Amino acid sequence: MADTKKNKKESPAKKVVKVEGVPQSFSPKKEEEKKQARIGVLICHCGTNIAGSIDIKALEEYTKTLPNVAFVDNYQYVCSTPGQKKITDAIAQHNLTGTVVAACSPRLHEPTFRTATKEGGLNPFRFEMANIREQNSWVHMHDGEGATEKAKDAVRIAVAKASLLEDLIPKSVLVEKAAMVVGAGVAGMQAALDLANAGIKTYLIETLPTIGGRMSQLDKTFPTLDCSQCILTPKMVDVGRAPNIELMTYTEVDAVEGYIGNFDVTLRKKASGVLSMAQAEAMGISGGGCNGCGDCEPVCPVIKPNDFEMGMKPRKAIYISHPQVVPLLYTIDFDSCVKCGLCVTVCGDKKAIDLEMKDEFVKVKVGTVVLALGFELFPIEKKEEWGYKRFENVITSLEFERLICASGPTGGHLVRPSDGKTPKKVAFILCAGSRDNTGIGKPYCSRFCCMYSLKHAHQIIEKIPGVQPYIFYMDIRSFGKMYEEFYYRIQDEGTKFIRGRVSHILEDPATKNLMVHSDDTLLDQPFRLEADLVVLATAVQPSVDTDRTRKLFGVSCSMDGWLLEAHPKLNPCGTTTAGVFLAGVCQGPKDIPDTVASAEGAASAASIPIHMGEVELEPYFAQCIEEKCAGCGMCVNLCPYKALALIEKEGRTVMEVTEAKCKGCGTCGGFCPGGAIWMQHFATPQIIGQIDAFLLGGAQ
Amino acid sequence: MVRSKGYPEALENKLIDRVLYDSDRSPEFTKVVEEISRTIPHMCYQCGTCTASCPSAPRSTYRIRKFVRRVVMGLENEALTDPDLWLCTTCYSCTDRCPRDIAPTDVIMAMRNLAFKRDIIPVNFLKTVQAIYTTGHGVPNNDVNRAARKKLGLEADPPTTHKFPQYIKGIQKILDYYKLKANADRIVKEREG
Repeated sequence: MADTKKNKKESPAKKVVKVEGVPQSFSPKKEEEKKQARIGVLICHCGTNIAGSIDIKALEEYTKTLPNVAFVDNYQYVCSTPGQKKITDAIAQHNLTGTVVAACSPRLHEPTFRTATKEGGLNPFRFEMANIREQNSWVHMHDGEGATEKAKDAVRIAVAKASLLEDLIPKSVLVEKAAMVVGAGVAGMQAALDLANAGIKTYLIETLPTIGGRMSQLDKTFPTLDCSQCILTPKMVDVGRAPNIELMTYTEVDAVEGYIGNFDVTLRKKASGVLSMAQAEAMGISGGGCNGCGDCEPVCPVIKPNDFEMGMKPRKAIYISHPQVVPLLYTIDFDSCVKCGLCVTVCGDKKAIDLEMKDEFVKVKVGTVVLALGFELFPIEKKEEWGYKRFENVITSLEFERLICASGPTGGHLVRPSDGKTPKKVAFILCAGSRDNTGIGKPYCSRFCCMYSLKHAHQIIEKIPGVQPYIFYMDIRSFGKMYEEFYYRIQDEGTKFIRGRVSHILEDPATKNLMVHSDDTLLDQPFRLEADLVVLATAVQPSVDTDRTRKLFGVSCSMDGWLLEAHPKLNPCGTTTAGVFLAGVCQGPKDIPDTVASAEGAASAASIPIHMGEVELEPYFAQCIEEKCAGCGMCVNLCPYKALALIEKEGRTVMEVTEAKCKGCGTCGGFCPGGAIWMQHFATPQIIGQIDAFLLGGAQ
Repeated sequence: MVRSKGYPEALENKLIDRVLYDSDRSPEFTKVVEEISRTIPHMCYQCGTCTASCPSAPRSTYRIRKFVRRVVMGLENEALTDPDLWLCTTCYSCTDRCPRDIAPTDVIMAMRNLAFKRDIIPVNFLKTVQAIYTTGHGVPNNDVNRAARKKLGLEADPPTTHKFPQYIKGIQKILDYYKLKANADRIVKEREG
């Protein structure tokens, strides 16, 4: 890369004069205007994707008539090695000043053709792409003639712009050698461990007092049936011990500034009311701080439902969610604490409790960020026909997990909430709120409910003699490794599968039994089941704080609220914000194996810029033409990225761009009353050139 | 569609070809039903929520899910000639609950309209037409009802065409415009003489 940069500098017509106070980016342009632009155009067939509807021959003949076009050719696949070589060779042979490829979307192959242009000895930003596939041949498949005419327009416009393009030098910024992972469920923990093991200082942020996330609420995991806590706690302990991980629980992201390589993140450490041993040490309380002894909990007079147990078990105002919490630190829920001070007394010399603790703000600087924001259950009571929260014996799958778990509120005995009796007929209702297009519910498949419901059926058969599980399903989606085999096993164990969605449930007020109404679609007969307990395999949705957090990091989301990846297939961990990556369910529903794989992918992607040490930013920066700038400063407030500032220069007030912060959105350039802002690569003359080419049909 | 092979009748009946051939399907039927019903039966994933919700299904052979499937597959004759088509009570429970946001009730209504164009309709529906034509009511008031209404402190006749018979003319005009009464009379006469 360094070599080509040198070549560029030696080639003629480059930065000859450097005008004082004017950005160098447009000074060479003035020189080059004298030189006739010579553009090479390559038209891609893309197999039949383009050539199937667009007349390539006619397009080529037309292109030859365009001003500035010095070379035209076509090829089956321009993105292939021989196709790219055509670009490289043509630059030298025809002494080109710019290249155009008429092919697919620049999102797909702009980098490819820029590299080819660079290899041919031109600045890579002298390349322009005409999209004649996504925006043309694919949508006008049945109108070849119209498509060809539209392709002529696209090529003419691209040639006009290519004729006015200028050399741009990408800017490099240094990358802070630290990363941040937001969310410490299994995805966040895995990503943090991977980053830390790769030698990167990692801040792991969790809004709850303990790490572990949803997975720590589960009893067993499909299809291997290993105990969820047993496989998760070692990871939690590793996270707590890893020297490269700075674990910050009960902490939220408050504000984010900066860009890839240099994110300045403000964190709010929520007041937990309890000092860790390290904090106590730092305050000079020798041997003090919370050691997790738990003496405070029995004396606390306030009783609240424990969210970790889905509200089915009480906790105190000073509490830990469950015995395996990491870090082992008590937390005071100040919303319910009455500040009676009993805990302070019993804590004694350890002096771990501070009832006057306030939220604290901490600033950290990181190079890259992984978001692992997780999920929550869709409020299934909104589907009134199934009676959740109206009928005591209708529960969600997460409540089932806590009830069947040995460390749960019932010690692992599945009981009916209405009378504490052991259920003998249990109905599992799949797609509860998923695959639902009514507007109340989620249109997507929640992806792991089929498998955990099979697991639930197995668990009750294992624990309750004589129990009969029923699974109401539309399709069983058992697509993972050993998943179909697991389905076979559960069917073999005696679970009854009813292919029909449950229309509604009625409760017998006397027995609190539930009449489940469905259609056995395979028999074509309405089916009724009097069940003791109904478990709704409830749809999942992004966790409550997802939207706020994603906005802080400038990450988009899809219609259903899941965070939007840079490319669903080829870049599932990346986002459109450079340096921010996605792990786990916040990108879309995933089971544990997929979540861990996604977390490892995100960690790997997030480590690359840090290991590279610096990143190149696309040079689409705004530039101030200082001789025109009146220093009015109106652009400064308009900039959504805080990239602009007024400075004093040679006795005048002018605007200055912090290039690394500028995203090239053009807000300032479009507004500037004096026309003093030059948008690199999208400069006014270039855009006017494109409009002229379109409206005037090629005659400039 | 049943295909015979020319065996003796008893054997022929036993050996009827019961395969659904793709060529028996009428894709046009799906389109017409969707146009009339203004809903999207082709999006049905056959979950059975409709049949399970249906108050007719437990006590009859009426299967709303099956009718929607017939529309999807373009089985025009099977759908329109099945007498179960007329067992929907139009309670709209299926429409309320359908997770694909289809209105199965409206699909049934569309098919009833198509069936009527072929004179396929139970006589009791036609008698309802005749009742509306003469009284303005599908179920006209009767002495039992009148007594019940009085007991509840209501007027014997509701403030409809029963109380204002002068407006029956307007209703008749509408029914005549669509030739509903004429067709009803004609079919009833054909069936009952």
